[in-house]
Amino acid sequence: MTERMLTVRMQINGKQTQPMDLPEDLMLLEYLQEYLNLTGTRYGCGQGVCRACAVIHDAADGPRVVPACITGVAWANGRSFRTVEGHATRDDQGAVTQLSAIQQAFLDHFSFQCSYCTPGFVAAATTLVERLQTAPVARDDVEDVVLEALNENICRCTGYVRYLQATRDVILNTPGLTTDEVATRDTAS
Amino acid sequence: MKRVLLILAGLLAAAVIGAVVVYVAFTGPGEIPPASRDLSSLSEGDREQMVQAGAYVARTGDCVACHESPDGLSLAGGTPMETPFGTIYGSNITPSRDHGIAGYSADDLYRVMVYGIAPGGKHLYPAMPYTSYHAISRADNDALWVWLMAQNPVDRPNRPAELAFPFNLRPLLAFWNLIYRPEPPELPDPGAGATDPAAPMARGRYLVEVLGHCSECHTPRNLAYARKTDEHLQGTVIEDALAPDITPAGLARRGWTTDDLEHFLANGLSPQGVMTFRMFPVLSHSTKYMTSEDIAAVAAYLTDGAPPPSPPDPRPDAIAQNPEGHRLYLGLCAGCHGSDGAGQPFGSVPLASNTSAMFDNPINLVRVIREGIPARHLAGYQRMQEMPAFADRLNDDEMAALVNYLRQRWGGHDATLAVSAVADTPG
Repeated sequence: MTERMLTVRMQINGKQTQPMDLPEDLMLLEYLQEYLNLTGTRYGCGQGVCRACAVIHDAADGPRVVPACITGVAWANGRSFRTVEGHATRDDQGAVTQLSAIQQAFLDHFSFQCSYCTPGFVAAATTLVERLQTAPVARDDVEDVVLEALNENICRCTGYVRYLQATRDVILNTPGLTTDEVATRDTAS
Repeated sequence: MKRVLLILAGLLAAAVIGAVVVYVAFTGPGEIPPASRDLSSLSEGDREQMVQAGAYVARTGDCVACHESPDGLSLAGGTPMETPFGTIYGSNITPSRDHGIAGYSADDLYRVMVYGIAPGGKHLYPAMPYTSYHAISRADNDALWVWLMAQNPVDRPNRPAELAFPFNLRPLLAFWNLIYRPEPPELPDPGAGATDPAAPMARGRYLVEVLGHCSECHTPRNLAYARKTDEHLQGTVIEDALAPDITPAGLARRGWTTDDLEHFLANGLSPQGVMTFRMFPVLSHSTKYMTSEDIAAVAAYLTDGAPPPSPPDPRPDAIAQNPEGHRLYLGLCAGCHGSDGAGQPFGSVPLASNTSAMFDNPINLVRVIREGIPARHLAGYQRMQEMPAFADRLNDDEMAALVNYLRQRWGGHDATLAVSAVADTPG
């Protein structure tokens, strides 16, 4: 049986990709790494559990995290995604000029060691921040929503607490993400 | 007019008196055979032996599945059972003086297990499967009693049943019993089991029909909620999940062999799928603890006289017939289950031989796709990875396309279910 092919085109980090004929059962992660040379998204368990491969799907009803290792291009075709390469601000030559708030916070908090899980954590935390922009929560609930949003991402260097602290800091210090802003910002550090 | 009323009142009084006479005369417990041994003077060694035997009876009878507390105390009660009439909660069967069964004698336990009547004459709802347990051997009952009395008491009150009128009137159950409660056999046959490998069939029957009470979920029920004896083990929807047809012919149609069934009962999975919904607790509390001889006896009994397995042939033409379903399968399912439905060990079940797509009723398939399945340790080293829930990624049209694709490609189905039929699936 000859391999069945599919013409695939989608939006990655704000740009339309060129249409490409791909094996119809190719996973999104392989497409990113092998065809687009976007190697920042990581392959971990290969079963959608560890979230090292998490990318952001910009759906009609807002951003959500999907595991690229078990999401096929057959579903991703025509949709819009953001990978870890797409969060920072870049100049005309493509060089990073400013990291996103979440990326910077992860650095400031020394949130990771080996970094293998980091692209997935960036995707999950960024999705949470963007969700709070449209549906802010009370400051008292921030701890809970951060844990809920990042709880599925696995880190094997014990970085969880610092990832959580960094994300909480960004949320508490970004106006509009919580419903009961306080005059004096209490940083968590 | 007055006279008519008088006649009506007289008829009503006669009916009430008749009912009371029937109630008193005919609906009590039947005969209680003598204890299998003198339980009042057991030696330490004998008691220990009976505790172990009783623990095994409790495993095979799967007491814990319904009598566990929501916070995980194995016999403290509180597991909800949804029925068409309301919710019943498993009772506290620890030897607690105030809330449990500390006051039960072995005879009392027998009366409950066989006749559904607790001390004081209180009628149990047949959610307690006394119509299955009715053929328990006195020896098994007594071992179970010794084991129950050896457990730690948990002083936790029972949660009353929440049933609609008139089902909340327990004495009415006496009349239900009159019609639907079977008499216990004079000589219950628990089978020889391990001691007589030549005769596993009696043991298999006892485990399936009596202790294991398989038919309580796998047999359709009539309007009075009694099992339909002429549709024994033919499968029914209970608590929004299909407990499938497990007759020999039904199993063969879905490709089950005796070996598959043994593997399924012992390990929680087989080429046909993984224990899900209410079968997962059955695995975790009961079948995975059963001896290999008993597992073999159960599998032999359930497949006795079965025709050769004849699962539906995979139909690759479903790909052309249902391109939208194929696209969704490749995009959302194939990453774990494989584009050819082969699955992965310890991760995801094969779909090419999975029975959920074969059932006429799509409820299990739809619910699994909608709700996902948590990561689970099955038995031994066997485990399955979490399956994500896809309810928020599939609209009704897409869900129907995917469900139809799975049913057509691997389930042997030709027909296409309407979008509304899939969308209206409860659960």
